[in-house]
Amino acid sequence: MKRVPLSVLNLLHDRSRLLVAIAGVAFAVLLIFMNLGFLGALLSTTTNFYEQFNGDIFLMSPQSLEISSTEPFPRTRLYQVAGVEGVQRVMPLYSDYVLWKNPETGISRAMFVYGYNLQDPVFLMPEVNTPEGIRILQQPNTVFIDRLSRPEFGPQTTGLVTESDRRQVTIGGQYSLGGGFAADGTLLMSDQNFRRYFAPRPLTQINMGILLLEPGTNPQKVKEALRALLPADVNIFTKAEIIEHDSTYWLQTTSIGFIFGLGVLVSFVVGTVIVYQILYTDIRDHLREYATLKAMGYSSWFLFKVVLQEAALLAGMGYVPGLIVSLGLYRLTVNATEGALPMQMTLFRVVLVLVLALTMCSLSGLISVRRAMTADPAEVFA
Amino acid sequence: MKPASSTAPVDAFLEESAATASAVSIRGLDYFFGQGELRKQVLYDINLTLPKGQIVIMTGPSGSGKTTLLTLIGALRSIHEGSLQVLGQELRGLGNSKLVEVRRNIGFIFQAHNLFESLTASQNVEMAVELVGNFKNKRQQAAAMLGQLGLGERVSYKPASLSGGQKQRVAIARALVNEPQLILADEPTAALDKKSGRDVVTIMQHLAKNEGRTILMVTHDNRILDVADRIINLVDGRLESDETLSHFQETHDPKKLDGQMFIL
Ligand SMILES: Nc1ncnc2c1ncn2[C@@H]1O[C@H](COP(=O)(O)OP(=O)(O)OP(=O)(O)O)[C@@H](O)[C@H]1O
Ligand SMILES: [Mg+2]
Repeated sequence: MKRVPLSVLNLLHDRSRLLVAIAGVAFAVLLIFMNLGFLGALLSTTTNFYEQFNGDIFLMSPQSLEISSTEPFPRTRLYQVAGVEGVQRVMPLYSDYVLWKNPETGISRAMFVYGYNLQDPVFLMPEVNTPEGIRILQQPNTVFIDRLSRPEFGPQTTGLVTESDRRQVTIGGQYSLGGGFAADGTLLMSDQNFRRYFAPRPLTQINMGILLLEPGTNPQKVKEALRALLPADVNIFTKAEIIEHDSTYWLQTTSIGFIFGLGVLVSFVVGTVIVYQILYTDIRDHLREYATLKAMGYSSWFLFKVVLQEAALLAGMGYVPGLIVSLGLYRLTVNATEGALPMQMTLFRVVLVLVLALTMCSLSGLISVRRAMTADPAEVFA
Repeated sequence: MKPASSTAPVDAFLEESAATASAVSIRGLDYFFGQGELRKQVLYDINLTLPKGQIVIMTGPSGSGKTTLLTLIGALRSIHEGSLQVLGQELRGLGNSKLVEVRRNIGFIFQAHNLFESLTASQNVEMAVELVGNFKNKRQQAAAMLGQLGLGERVSYKPASLSGGQKQRVAIARALVNEPQLILADEPTAALDKKSGRDVVTIMQHLAKNEGRTILMVTHDNRILDVADRIINLVDGRLESDETLSHFQETHDPKKLDGQMFIL
């Protein structure tokens, strides 16, 4: 027959206390999940537009911080590597800010502009890849506007004419890309139009080089080959690497990492305190019984195990409802923000928070267990 | 239950042979609480031998050191001076884990029952059976012990639904289930009404007589003195008197009536 499951029975005995404990752990778990969720979602919004970039390898100046603050570098770097085995196509990308005037309010705001050769399939958005879309973009002073631009930029109706850096501009169509953390709105235009708007800037200086590889080519291999060819004035990234590079930049230069990291820490501490409180009162209320067990011949180690088991049980019982509610809130957030905050549960996060919950409960178990272990068996006679 | 002498060192066997014949043997025991300035002596030169199978009642005024002596014999505190042998084992100088082992051979009965409210009567008793590793029959053993104490119907009740006397009997079942050779009880009847108190003591008396257990019981309860083979009196940390029940009753006039009432 099995041991009397003292830890389980002790926890189950006082149902209301158990419910409070579970709610406390679940709440802490929920807070941690939400903090990590917001952090992850915000970080992915800083870089999720890269998914629409049709490239496998990206070249950027070492002075560039992230996509919207790039330092131009010579276009010849791209042509130098065009012949490398596995490289299917090399595509220059130009970018800069213009002032876009809201035709309704007359107020101008900084808009982020991409310029590219219309022969190059730089972007994956379907609207800019139809023959009709390309035909429209070829017209002078005509741009496509990002539907995800902030409403302050004004209406996005096709055919609308407004002013950009004191130059007339016509909206030729729309696409959905998003500007990440840096840009409130984006425009796409042909490299020829880009040259007009940003004269006297020459097209020989590019902001980013995008390489499309032959299908089935290993980007890491090509990257090594490129590195051997190119001087140190360009950095080479695979797609995953440039996403990582940009989100690291945002994590480090903004306070979002700090804020949500602090949020996780506070939730962790709150959870630890709640569990400690529960375990401590439980031990205090049973001190005579624990001391009696010691008088009967149980070791301190046995009591240690009982308390830690209670802690682990609380962690498990609080974690599951915490996870379920978090999944619901993630979906709610995605719906409420219409996808602008892509809160997604990852396996890594599920495991991480479980480990955090266990650590939280064990920690409070360890703090409170000292009380049980010091229970003096001689005291119960007094 | 292993033989009590098995833990005694071989080279000390001859010296110890007298002690092993008795359950408890105390020589020149002094005991102090506190350190330095606050050091306070509570037991003075205690010499006491409890033969096997004897029921000994310890009386004495409050604060005279009865509980302290009981906790020392029960290996719940360590002694510093003198000699204390319990079931053939010298306790002086024993480490903590050795003391824990000694406790497993002793049945403790406290004034409070100290049962886990979350466990049934049976489970509370099973916690004791598990100590000696007997997992297979623990339920039957616990039930049998509770049955002997008249709680056969109550094995799966939690303490909250038992009366005070029933709870104390569960605690006694827990103390006795492993058939300890030595039973230490500190005012086991203090929290009980007259009838339950009487029942509890009668049960202990049967155990001592039928199974040769040694019982040392502290009590202020004059109503139960009649079960004792021997009554010792502790005053201000010193053993004042050590006498048989009849002698005690003759010399303690005010208590004489009480004691005789039970005999009649
Ligand atoms: N843990 C302790 N620390 C210091 N002094 C103690 C401690 N326990 C008991 N004492 C003192 O030791 C003396 C003996 O106490 P003890 O509890 O053994 O008396 P007792 O005979 O059991 O009394 P009672 O009949 O009231 O239970 C008392 O003066 C008490 O104040
Ligand atoms: Mg006492």
